[in-house]
Amino acid sequence: MTARGFWRGALLSLALIVSASFVGVFVLGGLGDASRSGGSSALITASLTSQDSLTAAAQLAAGQTLFVENCSSCHGIGAEGGTRAPQLLSVGSATIDLWLSSGWMPLAEPTVQPEQKPAKFDRAEVLEIVKYVTSLAPTAPGNPSIPFEVNISKADVAEGFSLFALNCAPCHTITGAGDALADGVSAPPLHGVTKTMVWEAIRSGPGNMPRFGPGTISPAQVIDIVGYVVKDIQHPSSPGGISLGGVGPVAEGFIGLFVGVGLTLLAALWVGDRNEQEEDEGDDGAEGTDGDGHGGVQHGELAHV
Amino acid sequence: MIDALFNWFDVRLGISGSSRKLVNKIFPDHWSFMIGEIALYSFIVLLGTGVFLTLYFVPSSKDVIYHGSYAPLRGQPMSEAFASTVNLSFAVRGGLLMRQMHHWAANIFVGSIVVHMLRIFFTGAFRKPRELNWIIGSTMLILAIFNGFLGYSLPDDLVSGTGIRISFSIVESIPLIGSYMAFFLFGGNFPGTAIIPRFFILHVLILPAVIVGLLSAHLGMLVRQKHTQFAGRGKTERNVVGVPLWPNFAAKSGGFMLLTTGVTGFLSAVFQINPIWLYGPYVPYKVSYAVQPDWYMGWLDGALRIMPSWEIVGFGHMIPNAFFPAILLPGITFGVLQMWPFIEAKLTHDYADHQILDRPRDRPKRTAFGAAVFAFYFVLFGASATDVLANYLSVSLNVVLTSFRYLIFIVPAIVYPVAYQICKELQRVPNAGQRKRANIVLRSADGGYSTVPSEPRPGDAVVRMDPLPLDEDIELVPAMAGVLVMADGGIGAQAASLDGPSEETLQPGADEGGERRRGGIFKIPRDYR
Amino acid sequence: MSENTDGTTGSPEAKDPSLRVRIPVSSARPDAPQFRVAAKNPRRAELLAASGFLVAAAGFAGFGASYWQNYSSFWLSITFTVGFIGLGYGLVVWGKYLMPQGPFEEARHSLAPSANEREVFIEDFASRGKVAVERRGLLVKTLGLASGVLGVVLAFPLLRSLGPLPKKTLAQTAWRKGSYLVDISGRKIKPADIDVGGFITVFPPDDIGGAYSQTMLIHVDPMKSGYLPPPPQFTKQRATWAPLGYIAFSKLCTHAGCPVGLYEELTERMLCPCHQSVFVVRDAAIPVFGPAPRPLPQLPLYIDEDGYFRAQDGYDEPVGPGYWERGSD
Repeated sequence: MTARGFWRGALLSLALIVSASFVGVFVLGGLGDASRSGGSSALITASLTSQDSLTAAAQLAAGQTLFVENCSSCHGIGAEGGTRAPQLLSVGSATIDLWLSSGWMPLAEPTVQPEQKPAKFDRAEVLEIVKYVTSLAPTAPGNPSIPFEVNISKADVAEGFSLFALNCAPCHTITGAGDALADGVSAPPLHGVTKTMVWEAIRSGPGNMPRFGPGTISPAQVIDIVGYVVKDIQHPSSPGGISLGGVGPVAEGFIGLFVGVGLTLLAALWVGDRNEQEEDEGDDGAEGTDGDGHGGVQHGELAHV
Repeated sequence: MIDALFNWFDVRLGISGSSRKLVNKIFPDHWSFMIGEIALYSFIVLLGTGVFLTLYFVPSSKDVIYHGSYAPLRGQPMSEAFASTVNLSFAVRGGLLMRQMHHWAANIFVGSIVVHMLRIFFTGAFRKPRELNWIIGSTMLILAIFNGFLGYSLPDDLVSGTGIRISFSIVESIPLIGSYMAFFLFGGNFPGTAIIPRFFILHVLILPAVIVGLLSAHLGMLVRQKHTQFAGRGKTERNVVGVPLWPNFAAKSGGFMLLTTGVTGFLSAVFQINPIWLYGPYVPYKVSYAVQPDWYMGWLDGALRIMPSWEIVGFGHMIPNAFFPAILLPGITFGVLQMWPFIEAKLTHDYADHQILDRPRDRPKRTAFGAAVFAFYFVLFGASATDVLANYLSVSLNVVLTSFRYLIFIVPAIVYPVAYQICKELQRVPNAGQRKRANIVLRSADGGYSTVPSEPRPGDAVVRMDPLPLDEDIELVPAMAGVLVMADGGIGAQAASLDGPSEETLQPGADEGGERRRGGIFKIPRDYR
Repeated sequence: MSENTDGTTGSPEAKDPSLRVRIPVSSARPDAPQFRVAAKNPRRAELLAASGFLVAAAGFAGFGASYWQNYSSFWLSITFTVGFIGLGYGLVVWGKYLMPQGPFEEARHSLAPSANEREVFIEDFASRGKVAVERRGLLVKTLGLASGVLGVVLAFPLLRSLGPLPKKTLAQTAWRKGSYLVDISGRKIKPADIDVGGFITVFPPDDIGGAYSQTMLIHVDPMKSGYLPPPPQFTKQRATWAPLGYIAFSKLCTHAGCPVGLYEELTERMLCPCHQSVFVVRDAAIPVFGPAPRPLPQLPLYIDEDGYFRAQDGYDEPVGPGYWERGSD
């Protein structure tokens, strides 16, 4: 291949890779987000209902088995914690339920930031583990328990929007798209999470997320926020068209440039002329005339310049 | 009837001559000359949609309670500006279409100005005698960027309001006069209530008026100096070859304007832009993550992010950190940009007139330099999305930021020699980039091989002809005389009264003594068909 | 034109039929190949353009219907698009293929003035101007004086009326000695209101929602008594500023003024969302990453007898981004 051919090929491939990755990252990334969140179908209504009773001995035994098999290698056989994982003895049922239902726990690999993925355990198993661990030691005061039912029928979404903008948007973005924090951790997107998970996350402050107790955000306010997240974060009003992942001007800029200016440039290529081929055939005179010999006026005739 | 109308004006204003010159004006037809038209037509779309928006938008910071149809905002306090924008989006028929078209057209406007500027740069169209047009053009770029910023800040939403806060800090960072200028601009300390109405009048009246004025000068100079053209058959430094304004250019340009409007409409139909109802109203103590300005301000945001945390403090005064990336950098950028024709003339010792354009490959140093500088600003533009990139690529934010601090130097340093080399190689190959004709290999009976070029593809077989001159000097007959078509087909003149030709003399169709009248504007003389 | 000797008007030549001026026909050359249309098949091109116009008509009709029936913005936009693209397409096809194909040329006259044109201009300008200003120095100077004063004075309404002088406004907030810390609804904050690892945005009661007084109150450490130890360089001044593990910093970023609303509980850092400056909370909010040049100012706290948080004093330095007069605090 000629050197020129090599450069052209390299440039073309680079341009293709760059544009494809940008398009992919920003347009499809928004869609990819929804699938990355683990699929809400895997998460059944995660509230506590009256059918879940907390004292059956058989459930405790099942919970112990699951805990020993899946959690004790990092969290210790008695849930006392260690160098790799915190203790679970006093954290409260809401916290354990949140981490298991979201699929953050068990970690895919021991050293990776917890990522939301399809929960490993089904609802019954989660509750068994929760019951077992909370039976090992009393929950510290202030640590939240699994809510009986997160009822958002009375949620004031307008209040929830205002509270969300103040407390949640600085990390999760105002559209709930999630974003990167420092040192490799990130605030996850809020699509594909259940209302119980949102409630539990606000109250228990998992990982780097701050903890918003009842003195900071009242119970009614938490319901408002949960209502807003479930309704308008997860199903935003998008009458204007494709929402481009909810990251705002970054994606809009790429579309405006590559699609907008790109399409108009293509139109210009069609409407306008191209530069001629450099003459290599030497048929100068013949091209200028048609059959009748009426040529274009020779361009030397600019006497009136 | 149109004839009579033209006649009416002609007799009073004498527009026949200039009209003839106008319709005979030749426009070189290369596609890259149409990029400026993209800017012009998107500006027209901006004006049209903008007028619609001004009828509904309320430029006021006064607090109101929203009572409209969008539930998450109902009952919430917000500025009237924000409320009227939400109203435009949900309650006004066609309001969202106009808002989105306006914003997409703004993105295309600035984008096409940049591409147009690059075309001018890489083909050397800014050289003498067009330096002034370059300065006007780069001024319009600055104004367009600034007007775009003002425009998307008007709805007073959480995302753009954060940008206004940053702009206050940037103005504040100017040495000596910064705090005064910031207070004068905002009518007091941040946020105040004056900034939205002031942005409004700047965005709607003052800057567009200046842009229209500069645009008229820009186009006027283009008409007077005539357009440049690429080298080619029949093209010299002393002529312009192309298509005339009437009917070709009018049709193609008019059609192109409609196509540009259509592209803007397509974007508005398919892609949502600036959904301010999802952002909520601006409040100084609230903020969102993943907040970037619109793309044409992205290079400034990127510069702010990757700038190391240096500040100059001493003798009771301070040159704050934000000054360097946000005031000094754009100052140098636009200063060098404006002065470029003179800088290049000095570097190349070339002070001659140029009417023929360079192919970028023929000026490798200029092309490589321009590419490297563009790469620099492109990396800055990429740096404004550090957090979004870190999130989507699952890379640590710290790594992304540090990488950009190095890339800002490495990438231009790579782009320059690569671009230079590409130019050199393209120069060596004739017809590089053009579609090639295949060579058909023929084998003669005794085994010899010969090649024959194949037939050109349908679109390629354009017969190139010598250009036909249009601008024939005519002997202008004094206005006294009437004009007649003579019996032998020529046109003659006849003295008439001192008061100028009578209306009848110039009316087409009127007969006098068997001599045919000349045709009217839209009446083709019979001997023509 | 003047009257002729025989009383008629008009130039004598014009009356002589033999002197009728021949004017060449315009640039029209109907036989030249440049005047032929570019389309090899004009009929087909015409059909293409016409179909474009028909599509456009349908599109505009659809736009009208969508508007009348108040369909969604998508339908308004897409019909609009179809209309304009159709119209544009038809017009461009007409312009490209069904018009004289050219190329045409025109002469490019040099715009530089002819040799003596500029001299004559300068002479005209100077000759009469000379009469006006020669030995009229008094006039010129007094005109200059009046214009100068006008120019200087105009700066006032153009600039000064725009806003107040900054004076010390940038250096002060509404925090005073004894200010309660209240949240956005005006509720006074007690230590029990914030869990460990939580935070509240607080304001002084007389400036709720204030842009400059916004403060982040963070519960860092579940201390039962005492104060969070400040970093070594502040051991003396800030020993009592953070009671019971609660600490308060200005929420206004020292880089470009965005609210630093992002608190990372585990790493105990505040992250500014705008340009990603990171402040270490236990270290007096010193920036360790990103462009912020100065730490966030800290609000000294105490807990009063009723158990509410109050400020010991206002901030000890101006909050927010830097400016020329900020000095070397």
